[in-house]
Amino acid sequence: MNRSIASGAYYQALYFVRTAFRGMWATRLTSAIAVLTIGVVLVLVGVFLLLVYNMEELLDEFGNELQITAYLDGDLADDAQRELALRVSQLPGVAEVTTVSAEQALERFRSSVGSGVKLLEGLDENPLPASLEITLSPEYRSAGGMAVVMDSIETLAGVTDLNSGRDWVEGYLRAISLVRTVGLGLGIILALATLLIVANTIRLGIIARSDELEILSLVGASRSFIRIPFLLEGMLQGGAGGAIALAILFAIFELALPGLQAGLQMIVGTAPRFLSTSEALLVVAGGAGLGLMGSAGALAAGFRS
Amino acid sequence: MYHVSKSYMAGTTALDDISLELAKGEMVFLTGPSGAGKTTLLKLLFGAERPSEGQIVVLGRNIARLGESAIPQLRRRIGVVFQDFKLLSNRTIAENVALALHVTACPPRKARAKVFAILKQLGLQHRRDQFPLSLSGGEQQRVALARALVNEPEILLADEPTGNLDPELTVDIMDLIAGTALRGTSVVVATHELELVKRYRKRTVRIEAGKLTEDLRPLGSVR
Repeated sequence: MNRSIASGAYYQALYFVRTAFRGMWATRLTSAIAVLTIGVVLVLVGVFLLLVYNMEELLDEFGNELQITAYLDGDLADDAQRELALRVSQLPGVAEVTTVSAEQALERFRSSVGSGVKLLEGLDENPLPASLEITLSPEYRSAGGMAVVMDSIETLAGVTDLNSGRDWVEGYLRAISLVRTVGLGLGIILALATLLIVANTIRLGIIARSDELEILSLVGASRSFIRIPFLLEGMLQGGAGGAIALAILFAIFELALPGLQAGLQMIVGTAPRFLSTSEALLVVAGGAGLGLMGSAGALAAGFRS
Repeated sequence: MYHVSKSYMAGTTALDDISLELAKGEMVFLTGPSGAGKTTLLKLLFGAERPSEGQIVVLGRNIARLGESAIPQLRRRIGVVFQDFKLLSNRTIAENVALALHVTACPPRKARAKVFAILKQLGLQHRRDQFPLSLSGGEQQRVALARALVNEPEILLADEPTGNLDPELTVDIMDLIAGTALRGTSVVVATHELELVKRYRKRTVRIEAGKLTEDLRPLGSVR
């Protein structure tokens, strides 16, 4: 008995899929236009997704190198410097503290200026202060986290000045948030557009197949039996649109990549990445989900009238 | 059907206090002029309309109280045939008939066998891969009849089934319908063709302006 129910469900599922494809074929031009439009719409969403992901990735890369330099009072004795370094290392958010003595700082400067080293020969005394190079623990690698650590270091006696990439991080975060907001807003508008496109295509399908629906209803088809193929059709259209979007995005990415990669690698030392498999699947599933919602809306409106 | 009335929003009354009983395997002609309420009565029987008043018990279920989701289950036990055949022109004959089996989740192999059997019974097996529009009117109505009968319904409702057919084909279709009643299916045929009614000598219910005016059971008639 259970077996026959299961096989019945299997045959019915097959029937639904066949009917969905038959429905798309019956309104093939409209369906093709709908799929392509959804594809283009999702490309725009995907571009923003890629932009945000890569910007965040870049921030992570930089975050690992984010550090605070605390310049120390020149009168501070070595013991006091060590004690200060110890206190700083115990502050929340501090992962590591390296003490750079005035001599080491000068040495670094010498090696960094290269041939201009002669300029330094006239110096009677070392003008550079000793400093502490503070690496942040991962959870503090943000503008806010950095501010917390900087505030607590600032109050310590013996620290004269602080230097960090905080301003840059704040600006960059604002840029990411802007891109994300624009992307989200655009995404919502485009998602609504996708819903409308699918809903209209399905509505046309319902009208085109009204004879068939009437007959099905006469021979005892349940509401879900009549609706499921349309829902599938919407899902397939949305999913196909998502797949097309993914292909276009990949093509754009691959075409733009050679030019971008060299530049980015040189400037920031990281190559842009494409969507991961799960993110790519999310684009297709998102398209399918929008298609499903669009067709559900069309069915609700179509069967009411 | 007990004291059934059906009126519409606009205030028109399609049926007025109709009471009627139909036995298993009985065949009834529903006669009356156009617009008398014959089609409305049939629609009430397969749940396409709900009565405004009264009770309709079909196959043990009270239509007036039946939930929306129970109607499809009931319809699988009722075959319906219309004057305009209601066939899908883009599906083959076999596919048209199989529609009634798809809704019951019938496995394809079994469905094919059932479709073939009913088409053979109605003399259409050689037409199964053709499309409806390549068939004559009589053949198309036979396909519609095959679709109505393929699920072995307990009731067959036919609304002017021969309205679009010439006299010869009319007899052909009516013979098939009458044969169905002989096999135990209760049959209701709405028609305004009195010649037909006379020929088959079955119970005749006449409706005029929504009222039941006559319920005749001819003597010596074969149920």
